[in-house]
Amino acid sequence: MTLAVAFPVRLGAPLSRVDPRWKLAALVPVAAVAGMLQTLGAASAALIGAFVLAALARLPLRWYLDRIATLAAALALFLALLPFLDHGDEGRWTVGFLSLSPKGLTLAAVLLLKALTVTTVLLAAATTAPMQVHLKALHALGVPGLVVQLSALTLRYLAVVHAEFSRIRIALRVRGYRQRFTPASLRTVGHVTGMLLVRASDQSERVAQALRCRGFDGRFHALTQFQTSVWDVAFFLMVAGTATGLLYWDLLQR
Amino acid sequence: MPPDAVIDVRGLTFAYPGGPTALNGVSFQLAAGESVGLVGPNGAGKTTLFLCLSGVLPVKPGMARVAGLDPAVATDKRRLPTKVGIIFQNSDDQLFNTTVLDDVAFGPLNLGCQPEEVRKRVAEALARVGAEGLEQRVPQLLSGGEKRRVALAGVLAMHPEILLLDEPSMYLDPRGRRELIRLLPTLPGSRIVASHDLEMILETCQRTLILDQGRVVAQGQPRELLANAALMERHGLEVPYSLR
Repeated sequence: MTLAVAFPVRLGAPLSRVDPRWKLAALVPVAAVAGMLQTLGAASAALIGAFVLAALARLPLRWYLDRIATLAAALALFLALLPFLDHGDEGRWTVGFLSLSPKGLTLAAVLLLKALTVTTVLLAAATTAPMQVHLKALHALGVPGLVVQLSALTLRYLAVVHAEFSRIRIALRVRGYRQRFTPASLRTVGHVTGMLLVRASDQSERVAQALRCRGFDGRFHALTQFQTSVWDVAFFLMVAGTATGLLYWDLLQR
Repeated sequence: MPPDAVIDVRGLTFAYPGGPTALNGVSFQLAAGESVGLVGPNGAGKTTLFLCLSGVLPVKPGMARVAGLDPAVATDKRRLPTKVGIIFQNSDDQLFNTTVLDDVAFGPLNLGCQPEEVRKRVAEALARVGAEGLEQRVPQLLSGGEKRRVALAGVLAMHPEILLLDEPSMYLDPRGRRELIRLLPTLPGSRIVASHDLEMILETCQRTLILDQGRVVAQGQPRELLANAALMERHGLEVPYSLR
C-alpha cells in the first residue's frame, strides 16, 4: 500500500550523502527564500537551481512530473485569471476580444515559477532520506520532541487508517453500494466517516496505553547519530550563499 | 504474598466509568518463572486485568502487587514498565515507530539506556524472536507473524520480569502460531497468556485460570481444567479438540 505521503527514497543519490541536519537547514530556508522572490529573472534562476537539486537527488522523472503536473493544474485555476485583472498597467495587450495585463502575466509566471521551485526543492529534500531520519534531524535542529513524536505517530497511523478505509470500501461494495450524489449515498459517506473517526479514536487510546506501558514520558529519544563532514558544511554554505545572492538580486531588480 | 510470587492480586475490582464492573474481586498469584493461561469468554475482563496489572488502568492501593510494586502508587507505577511487558491483541497498537529498529529501541531509550546498550538489547531481542534482518523494515508492511515477533522483541528489549500476552496467536497463520508456541517456553521470566486458543494454552502453560464476568471462577492444571466439559460449557468455552 502506498500513501500520498510516501516518497521514493533515493539513498544512492549524491544529495542523500549530505548529513540530513545540514540538508534540512539549507533547503528549508531555500524554499522560504524562493517563496519571497518577486521578479521573473530571480524566480527563473531559482527554478534552474531547484532543477540542479532535483538532479542531485535523482528524483524519478515520471514521479516528479506527475506531482508537478498536479500542482500546475491546481494553480492554473487561479493563475489563469491574473492576466485578465486590472493591475494598473498603462499599456494592456489586446488579442481579439481579450485584454491582457503584462503585469498580470508576469505575476502569474512568477507565482508559477516560485511554486515549482518550492515543490522541487522540498521533494529533493524529502526523497533523499527516509522520513524517520528527517524527523530525527528536525529534532536535532531543535524542533520539540513532542511535535516530532506526534508527526511520526501521524505518519505511522495514516497507513493504518487508510487500510481501515480500504476495508470499509470493500465491505460497502460487496453489499451493493455505489457512490452516487443522492441523500442516501451522502448519508452512507457520513456514517463511514464517523465510523473511521470512532475507530481511529479507539485505536489512539490503545496506542497511548501501549506508549505508557513502554515507559513513554513525552520525551523523544532517537538512536540515530549524525556526523558532520566538511562536505556537509560546504553544501550548506554553497546553498545558503546562492539563496542569499538570489534574494539580493531580486531586491535590486524590484 | 507468597515468597516466590511475582504477582499477588487480592480482591481486584475495576469498573469503567459509566460501564459495568469489568473485574469483580479477582484474586490469584503468579510464581516466579511460572506460565499461566488466562481463558474466558469475550468480555470476561482479561484485557482489563492486564491493563490494571501494568498500571494503565487505575487500581486501589493494596489490590495488586506486581514484581514488588503497587500499581496504585505513583512512584511504583512509573517503575512498572521496567518490570512488566505487555503484548497487545493488535500488534498495530504497539508498533508505533516508523522502523522496526526504532520500535524495538523505543523502550530501552525511554529507560535511559546508552546507545550502545540499546543497540545490544535490540540485537538480542530480535535474535531471540527470530526477527533478525527486519531492522530497517516499516512496521505496516510486515506480515501478521512478523508484527507479532517485533512487538514481542520491543517488550523483551526492556528486560521485563513478567510478560502479559493478550491473545498472542490472534492474526497468525498456522505456521506463525506454531512458531509462537515453540517460542513462548523459551522466553525469560514469568508470564500470563490470555487466549481463546486453548490448544496453545495446553502446550505452553503450567496452570490455567478461568475468568468469567470479572471473576476467577476456576483455576488448576490445564489438562484437568480444560477437560471439564460442564465447567467449560458453563463459562462459554469448549473442551479443546485434543482433550475430547
